[in-house]
Amino acid sequence: MSTSIEPKITPEAIRANVTDFVCRQTKSDVAADVDLFGSGLVSSLFALQLVVHVETAFGVSVTGPELKLDNFRTIDAIAELVLRLRGGRR
Amino acid sequence: MTAVADRCAEAVALVTEVIGERADEWDRAGRLPAAVPVALAEHGLLCPDVPAEFGGRGLTSAELGELTAHAGSLCSSVRSLMTSQGMVAWAVRRLGDAGQQAAWLPRLASGARAAIAFSEPGAGSDLAAMTTTIAAGGDQVEISGTKVWVTAAEYADHILAFGRCGAGGAAVLVPADAPGVTITRIDDPLGCRAAGHATVRLDAVRLPAAAHLLGGAGMPMEWLVTSVLTHGRLSVGWGCVGILRACVAAAVRHAGARQQFGRPLADHQLVARHLAELHLAEQAATRMCEYASACRDDGSPEQVAAAVAAKHFAATRAAAGAAAAVQVLASAAALDGHVVARAYRDAKLMEIIEGSSEISQLLLAQDAQERWK
Repeated sequence: MSTSIEPKITPEAIRANVTDFVCRQTKSDVAADVDLFGSGLVSSLFALQLVVHVETAFGVSVTGPELKLDNFRTIDAIAELVLRLRGGRR
Repeated sequence: MTAVADRCAEAVALVTEVIGERADEWDRAGRLPAAVPVALAEHGLLCPDVPAEFGGRGLTSAELGELTAHAGSLCSSVRSLMTSQGMVAWAVRRLGDAGQQAAWLPRLASGARAAIAFSEPGAGSDLAAMTTTIAAGGDQVEISGTKVWVTAAEYADHILAFGRCGAGGAAVLVPADAPGVTITRIDDPLGCRAAGHATVRLDAVRLPAAAHLLGGAGMPMEWLVTSVLTHGRLSVGWGCVGILRACVAAAVRHAGARQQFGRPLADHQLVARHLAELHLAEQAATRMCEYASACRDDGSPEQVAAAVAAKHFAATRAAAGAAAAVQVLASAAALDGHVVARAYRDAKLMEIIEGSSEISQLLLAQDAQERWK
């Protein structure tokens, strides 16, 4: 909630953060281009845990039309989503 | 901090005032007087966690929890209305776009009364079996299907109904008076008898999509529902804390006052054990719900599993605790309408809704395997 200028977040930093979360949750190594939901890696509560993590970690809200599977299918897709949602304040 | 405490205390006082001593009478009548849901809605008590920027009371999850437990200790039917409308408001915040949030949240926070519809005759726990269809075409959306056990539908002016939409799921905010909507009251539910359960038939109901269609961007049904149910599970969990508070208070009073074999019931060890277990259940369920609410207020992903755990724990303990309280009060509570008799019937339903105990256990087993493998 700080109004100070946040450091610019790089795609690499986003991918590293999300990869760490996904690997911790699934206890497996997950590459940035793996289909998280087609791989049988994740439980039925995981999708929402992932959404909440992304929102809290990067200070964004994922609502309405942005809340769709394609935005969360891979770690790469999540990084793109976060960069887009933070677009105004990079 | 004082403003925060006042904000919560004011909501608690208003709920006390609206319910008064009338919950027994409403239970026996099987309905709330029309003015009751209206008053609750107008005071913004049905979804008091709507942020202040949308005209809501802006309660945190922890504050909402205490308010919900208070309502649950007085009347589970009223608490059920709060759970239903709370889920609708949360669905608008999560699934709605900016325009829909700006349009609906102020209404939900200041007078509108909403119900939420998931279950169908052939789709309870198995959401993949849902057959309600939502078709968007041009600027219109059309929804058809039958929803059962829709809590609060009898009092609602809007029903948020979920259905299949393209490859995923969506929800439509349907005005109760729209052409094609039929709401049929369920007369004799086992518990929460005044909560206005109804069957809702939607027969090719057409509405402007921009205002009424939530989601529909290809989100899997399970994602949509898990998000909304997380809110509902916390609400039910806190409501069960309220049931336990009502039961432990009634059991302690009765066991202290009634004499058998020359001494108070509480001095008989087998009765005392019931009091101890009830007290423990209330304490433990409160801690579980406090933890889940803290996770939610902190934006922690842990909230998802914590809400399942809190709901399952609180509901099963409330059902067991209410049965124990009936045992302690015996014939004094063996009358419909009595706070403990209501708790006994209401708590049983809490083991069924917002994820049955068995579905909760499956989710918790998955969580355990992720955590401990």
